[in-house]
Amino acid sequence: MTPSGSPAHLARRAGTGTGWWGRKRTRQAALILCFLLPSLAIFLLYRVIPLGWNAILSFQSWSPMRPPRWVGFEHYEEMLFYDDIFWTALWNTLIWIGAAPVAIILALGIALLVNSDLKGASVYRTIVFLSYPLMTVAVGIIWRWMYDERGGFINWALRIAGIIDRPLGFLQSFDLAMASVIVTDIWQVIGFYMIILLTGLQQIPQHLYEAARVDGVPRHAVFLYVTLPMLRPSLFLCAVIGLLNSFTSFDLVYVMTNGGPGHATELLITYIYKLGFGQTKFDYAAAVTVVQFLLLLALTFLANRLAGGNAGAVEKD
Amino acid sequence: MLSRRTLLKASAVMPAALAAPAIGQTRRSISFLTWNIIDQEPLIRGWIASFQRANPGVEVEWLDKKGPELPPFYQTQLAAGTPPDVVNTQGALWLEYAASGALMDMTPRLAAEPEVKNRFNANYLSNWTLQGRNYMLPFYITKTLLFYNKTMFQRAGLSGPPQSFDDILAFAGRMAQGESTGFLTLNFDWLYWPLFAMNGVDLLTPDLRRPAFNTPKAIEVLEKLARASESGAINKISWTGRWVEPNGAFAAGNVGMLHAHSPAYFFVRGQGNWVNGDTLGVAHAPGNFSTPNSHGLGVSRGSRNPDLAWAFVKHVTANEQAGQLATQRRILTGNTQVDQALLASLRSEDPLVHSVLSTQIEHTDKMVGNWPMPQDARVKDAFWPELQSALLGRKSARQALADAERRVGRELSRA
Repeated sequence: MTPSGSPAHLARRAGTGTGWWGRKRTRQAALILCFLLPSLAIFLLYRVIPLGWNAILSFQSWSPMRPPRWVGFEHYEEMLFYDDIFWTALWNTLIWIGAAPVAIILALGIALLVNSDLKGASVYRTIVFLSYPLMTVAVGIIWRWMYDERGGFINWALRIAGIIDRPLGFLQSFDLAMASVIVTDIWQVIGFYMIILLTGLQQIPQHLYEAARVDGVPRHAVFLYVTLPMLRPSLFLCAVIGLLNSFTSFDLVYVMTNGGPGHATELLITYIYKLGFGQTKFDYAAAVTVVQFLLLLALTFLANRLAGGNAGAVEKD
Repeated sequence: MLSRRTLLKASAVMPAALAAPAIGQTRRSISFLTWNIIDQEPLIRGWIASFQRANPGVEVEWLDKKGPELPPFYQTQLAAGTPPDVVNTQGALWLEYAASGALMDMTPRLAAEPEVKNRFNANYLSNWTLQGRNYMLPFYITKTLLFYNKTMFQRAGLSGPPQSFDDILAFAGRMAQGESTGFLTLNFDWLYWPLFAMNGVDLLTPDLRRPAFNTPKAIEVLEKLARASESGAINKISWTGRWVEPNGAFAAGNVGMLHAHSPAYFFVRGQGNWVNGDTLGVAHAPGNFSTPNSHGLGVSRGSRNPDLAWAFVKHVTANEQAGQLATQRRILTGNTQVDQALLASLRSEDPLVHSVLSTQIEHTDKMVGNWPMPQDARVKDAFWPELQSALLGRKSARQALADAERRVGRELSRA
């Protein structure tokens, strides 16, 4: 019996041509495959194979300078039971992820403001968005100066305002460093979220608002029952971007604190880098990478479910 | 029209034809990887040209990488089996490479050519020795010293540099007022270790197998440093900054002392318009302890042309080339003759630089923080965050050292 999706089956259904190559569907499938092949090859070479090799590496003792040796779950045991830096980095990564909704909520507020009849809305929109195209390393350096204990703008402003009487070492403090870096991250990414949400807001059909107005629906209810549901795809997109950003925010942390003080701002991604290229523990770094990958996979799955379970699906007419 | 036989013949010959130039190239070519000295391009091109004149037909490919990029680059090249033939590393980075067999053992070659070995300051040369084998030659050398702001010293009624650890803290306390702080140190690559060494604290047992730092004396030292940091006597950037921040802070003119290696002088002079022979003092740290942070040149064991690579290393460290580097960069090279010549010319030309660089070849028997252990980077990463936690008041000194001992012990046990 021929499977229902097989080329032969498709060709029979199409009922065209004679012989294998002569069948129209088969020719189409071959053509599609030809077009896809370069992308698939690149995907395989740069995504799937490294991912698989990374997984294998996590069960080996390996360095660029010695042959691999199978060690089973040794790295995972080390990571889960003895490595408190791993747990600190994991916790910090979760905090970083938790900051994404804060940024999205703030961006939504700004998007609503600049979408209203506010005077000079387009100017504000441009100003807010300007932070996004800046190079992250440059953003990190600028904010590091701004946070500086002695000559930084933030300390100066807080002292002028009488909020503090002694300068704060934002990036040197175990209590403030993480929050300080997160503020920078939010500042940079908020403009991007705002643009996504603004586009979403502008695509909401106006007749829905008109109908609500005619029915006398209060403004907060319009927001809850019209705006938010209609914005769900945009919000989901922001959430996914925020999630991915949380796992790849290497440059900002690296430039601003390098994971310090202590490991107060260590993220999984910075820890992986240090393990691999600072301590030449590529095998152990591979095990931490596997955990990070599984975490990312689980969170993406969760986000997809929350978004209705069909995120990324292509709509058909 | 090509016949099938012709096609097959062509296919068989093609790979050999394609590989031929590559084989030829590997026979007479080497690559030279340097650490962030792209500004010296004319000089290095000149060395390559003179090397090529002496070795006709040889190709030398020069690659330069910034500090953070070099280790990943070298490691990936090692993994690919194509390491650069000659590599320049900083600090203790070479140790792991040497211990895992990535670097060529230079000991037999140095024994066969004593005139090469005798070029160098023996104490510096020994910094690149692991288990009695020498893996690198000095390219340019630095170690820590104490800079002090004479104006701030005078204002605080201090007549000369501190002579003990307690002096450092007392002097720093006297200069700490308002925005001013008394002391700063660089902290990367064990550069702060003289502060412990001058108190008789050892990091490891002599066999380098176990931690030895968790002692009452070390706790006392750490508590004193933490208290001084809290009071502002020690600038907290000492424990959080890397290079630009601490040197920049000292250059601003309101920090009494800076414990740093000699290249810091050029940064500070560039940024601080107050710096001159009357205002900047130069001294050894109490007890004459210092931590080296030099650059060495090694040959990758995977080199396809080790003899050529060795010849290139000798060429670069020879008097002529080392002399050019020393003069142009105003840096010591570890080549004794060259360094003496540079210091002689600087004595009248630039007395302040002379006094800075003179410290670099004095008390070289008191260099610390240069333990020849392959897992140096891992021990450093296990020790430093705990120390930092105590210095910044997050943990008690006792707790931090106990935690550090556990972590360091674990790293050492894995060796």
